[in-house]
Amino acid sequence: MLRNILPAIALLSLAQTALAQTPFDQNVGAFVQKNCAMCHNEQLKTAGLALTKYRDTAAMIHDRDIWEKVVTRVRAGEMPPKGLPKPSAEQIAATTNWIEAQFDHYDATAKPDPGHLTAHRLNRTEYNNTIHDLLGVHFEPAADFPADDSGFGFDNIGDALSVSPTLMEKYLAAAKKIATEAIPIALVPPKPTQFKFAPEHGVREDRPTLEHTFLLPAEGDYDIKAGANGKRDPFTLTLFLDGKEVKSQNITVVPDKPRTIELRLHLAYGPHTLRSVLTPHDPSDDEYEAINRARIADAEGMAKQILRHPEDEKQIRLQHVGEPTYADSIELRGPFNALTPPLPPTYAKVFICGHPLGQHNAQCMRTDLAHFARLAYRRPVTNVELAKMDRLMLSVEKSGLTQEQAMRVGVEAILVSPNFIYRIEHDKRDPSAVHEVDDFELASRLSYFLWSSMPDETLMTLASDHQLSKPDVLNAQVKRMLEDPKSVALVDNFAGQWLELRNLDSVHPDPDQFPQFTKSLRQAMYTETHMFVTAMIQEDHSILDFLDGKYTYLNEKLADFYGIPGVKGPEFRRVSLDGTQRSGVLTQASVLTVTSYPTRTSPVLRGKWILENVLNTPPPPPPPGVGSIDEKGGALRGTMRQQMEKHRANPICAGCHTKMDPLGFALENYDAIGRWRTQDANQNIDSSGVLPNGQKFQGSAEMKAILASRKDAFAECLTEKLMIYALGRGLEGFDRTATKKIVARLKQNDYRFSALISGIVDSVPFQMGRGDAAPYLAKLGAPAK
Amino acid sequence: MILTRKHVSRRSLLRGMGAALALPMLDAMVPALSAAAAVTRKATPNRMVFCYVPNGIDMRNWRPEAVGRDYVLPKILQPLAPIQDNLLVFSGLKDHNGEALGDGPGDHARAAASFLTGVHPRKTSGSDISVGISVDQVAAQKMASQTRLASLELGIEDGHLAGNCDSGYACAYVNSISWRSPTVPNPPEVNPRSVFELLFGSGEDAGDPAARARNNKIDQSILDLVSDDTRTLARDLGPTDRRKLDEYLSAVREVERQVQMAEKQAAENTLAVPTMEKPDGIPLEYGEHAQLMFNLLTLALQTDTTRVSTFMLAREGSNRGYREIGVPEGHHGLSHHRNDPVLMDKVAAINRYHMEQFASFVTKLKNTPDGDGTLLDHTMIVYGSGISDGNKHNHDDLPVLLAGGGRNFKTGRHVKLNESIPVANLYLSMLDAMNVPTQSLGDSQGRLNYLTEIS
Repeated sequence: MLRNILPAIALLSLAQTALAQTPFDQNVGAFVQKNCAMCHNEQLKTAGLALTKYRDTAAMIHDRDIWEKVVTRVRAGEMPPKGLPKPSAEQIAATTNWIEAQFDHYDATAKPDPGHLTAHRLNRTEYNNTIHDLLGVHFEPAADFPADDSGFGFDNIGDALSVSPTLMEKYLAAAKKIATEAIPIALVPPKPTQFKFAPEHGVREDRPTLEHTFLLPAEGDYDIKAGANGKRDPFTLTLFLDGKEVKSQNITVVPDKPRTIELRLHLAYGPHTLRSVLTPHDPSDDEYEAINRARIADAEGMAKQILRHPEDEKQIRLQHVGEPTYADSIELRGPFNALTPPLPPTYAKVFICGHPLGQHNAQCMRTDLAHFARLAYRRPVTNVELAKMDRLMLSVEKSGLTQEQAMRVGVEAILVSPNFIYRIEHDKRDPSAVHEVDDFELASRLSYFLWSSMPDETLMTLASDHQLSKPDVLNAQVKRMLEDPKSVALVDNFAGQWLELRNLDSVHPDPDQFPQFTKSLRQAMYTETHMFVTAMIQEDHSILDFLDGKYTYLNEKLADFYGIPGVKGPEFRRVSLDGTQRSGVLTQASVLTVTSYPTRTSPVLRGKWILENVLNTPPPPPPPGVGSIDEKGGALRGTMRQQMEKHRANPICAGCHTKMDPLGFALENYDAIGRWRTQDANQNIDSSGVLPNGQKFQGSAEMKAILASRKDAFAECLTEKLMIYALGRGLEGFDRTATKKIVARLKQNDYRFSALISGIVDSVPFQMGRGDAAPYLAKLGAPAK
Repeated sequence: MILTRKHVSRRSLLRGMGAALALPMLDAMVPALSAAAAVTRKATPNRMVFCYVPNGIDMRNWRPEAVGRDYVLPKILQPLAPIQDNLLVFSGLKDHNGEALGDGPGDHARAAASFLTGVHPRKTSGSDISVGISVDQVAAQKMASQTRLASLELGIEDGHLAGNCDSGYACAYVNSISWRSPTVPNPPEVNPRSVFELLFGSGEDAGDPAARARNNKIDQSILDLVSDDTRTLARDLGPTDRRKLDEYLSAVREVERQVQMAEKQAAENTLAVPTMEKPDGIPLEYGEHAQLMFNLLTLALQTDTTRVSTFMLAREGSNRGYREIGVPEGHHGLSHHRNDPVLMDKVAAINRYHMEQFASFVTKLKNTPDGDGTLLDHTMIVYGSGISDGNKHNHDDLPVLLAGGGRNFKTGRHVKLNESIPVANLYLSMLDAMNVPTQSLGDSQGRLNYLTEIS
């Protein structure tokens, strides 16, 4: 094959020298000819790359992301690959520096392009949060909506979010429910209903307490019942109401003894917290007898079953082990003898006029609705829009509805309007017109970035006064918003998706192999990572702590799981990881679990995760034809690593797997639910590895040290991900300028998280907008391949 | 049968009997002496349902050996024994646009996206998704004037996970098989309670026809206002944004149509009435969940609330385990079996488990009278996958069968095609039977001729 290429290359280089030598030719062209053209030419197009077709700087800048990758790979020594002659260090430096200088020049002089944000509908989380902030309504209306499609790893990408008729129906139904709950039409004592809190109980879980806040619809008498379930041992069940003990009783979960405590209390309207606590005690003679009788009966039953089905003995024994006693439910029935409830707080949010029920006039109905619309549409409402709403209200009132019923209709209409459902920025139609977004649009961008919800009154006022875009005002607002509890949305939604934490809810490690993976352990894993990221934001840590921060947040259960001594009690607290193998998020059980399969670890998944989410070098897609690995058949044996080695022996696969697998192997000491282990399939685990550039490491600590040394790669990775999340669109070539600025800012500020947030908020893509993308893209033409 | 001006409403019948019964279309229920009645009584409509299973099938245990009428049902198809006469098992259908065709990996996304559309999906992980309209939506658009719900999309697995979906393809491609248009998917509903409410309403104004009529009017006014708002908004926006709002507008119009039809049915007393309890939510067990969804589907077909449906028995690329049948390992992982017979057997067990759910559905349809025959006679149900062998990820020799549709096709055979034929050909023939003749769909090359012949 080489024989065919050489003459072609000879001709090419002849042709090159024949032309006048531009700076591009001198600095890049010659280098490419000598070191890359053997494979990356227009005939072979190895890995889809034809570097020889770039003839000038403009073309190179057009495909900037490709060339930046070229610089990274050549500098890291990954290209040219092993076995081919390598250029000298000086040549590499000269060429790559020159290329970067071109990009820097472009960044400094070219017109900024902030990209265009497509009409962006609220996703489920944003819908729930917005409704809650708008009205304080206490249920999650979007729980029923179909799942949001995600793009670029996040579910808040405008282009990826669509509206199907099913979703439209749901919007209508949700708007009705919300309006009905927020606006009572009459104040009548409600009829008694049942309020039950009985969460699913994980198999063989310990659950000695249960707590729930009930929202009572009116003052009255309520029958309260708290119960326990499972088998074994006598307990005392104590019930607390709003922190004070109200009843205590001995219970034993055997057939003829009580297993619930019941009482009737007179409770006020509003929220009340009920907590049931199980404490064990020594059995009385009476209880002892009852328990023994029950145990004997149980054993007899089990023996009979085994006699009948001797082959199922193991299963039957398992079934009869039973659960430890656990608090299983808290229930209220009522209100009986109810009093008329007061107006709910939502009423005042809608009827800002302050008139009581049924005593509004036409004027205040109009102002109230206008006020609501302004908040819901996140901008001032036009007279035309108001007039349309007025007409709707009038026609509804004509059909005989009360004022409150009419207002419900108005609220419903607003909540299904595209002005509410979509965040739309009114760009000028000219695609090349770049402009600052107006203050209301900026307020929405800010609030949906940091709170996944609508702007609050402070932001709206600053926007009306045209103050928000002023740098010191903006900075102060960012600070305030991060300190507000609503910023938990950043952890839930950004970290939840970047770290794939949300998947923790739906992984199912095989209970036979991993019986410790109980519901409370799963919850603890989630809490650990959640608190870690929260601390990062609230305490403004360096983002490098994600890689090798030597601390975390544990409770006794999780500390035991990790083998870390000295942590007692169910509360979470900060724990130092000095002296242990773990650090950062990579060795947190949550991340280790979501990058595994139900029955085993996956070095490939873990390696890929690191490449995508830490090093910003997602592996290229497998070449066509892959998938039929080892067609000769036969099962693969040995440790996970040994099995993977066989895959990598295939040269088609090795190219990517030499990058992914070593990173995953380093983590092989952590099993599929994140526990430390030294053996797999009865053999010692070998967690050493070699990266493509030759760097060697032994174990996860050394691998992480190498990752930590690539600070800038990680900074860039996190910046890009957070930008995608903040903007709600994928990043394009023209965003590189902004990204580089933000990374530089991070470096200047010790990589503190706040520098990342302000960097993004102050960036061109965040503060500016451009007209619709489609014609602009047409101008660019298809990307070079 | 005595024709009087009075006719019996289904609701009063239910009240009288009080119990949850399946209600056949009694002649007495049809409004007497109306022209519409004559049409309805003559032509019981056809329905079409598409059931999808992911990650391919263990073809060793799917492909029957013998061809024609007397073939033995292999292990995965065995649960269909009670309805073998109503089956058409195909060997040789292909989904060409599931292949890479130069786009690299992503067979799962392509399989799901092309299965009902016959179009190669655009490879993108975010913004500009594009495939084609799916066969069920082609039919649904025509049904829109006749049933309250143009179509019903059901599923078992919710799509909202973090991370990417398949090698650079947007999650929309693996989450839905039904596509309203090349850019708008119809994501499936996975919560049985929501499906119930979709079919029968949330029951708030159930007993009060005056209230319901008024609410319908209000809904229509609201939707009018919303349409108006949307059109006004769109005027000032560029093409990409306008497209988004067009989506919104067409969704609003569809809901308007449903509201109007509900009003009409309420006035004529032909609103669908449920014959089962409202489900609480999503059952924990797979089998229970699947059965509940199939029951709701049966009810939807029976009450003529819809005539078109798709049901994803799991997301394409699903990696859930099935402990209840002794296979806790992830399905997707197993499907990359590397020709290990132990793993292939586990895949076969999962395939069979899915088939068992399907089998009890079609058996129930066979035992449900409908018009002049059974519900199975009048419903064409496709069951299959866009991937053949899960390890090779090939998209020819697809596992596809057609159940029912007895009065349109000659069922009870294993049809082995001489050459690879696009599965879209089958869909065109089905559309013919739905009275929605269509020239082409995706990569179709005409109708499938083998449906009405014995050979």
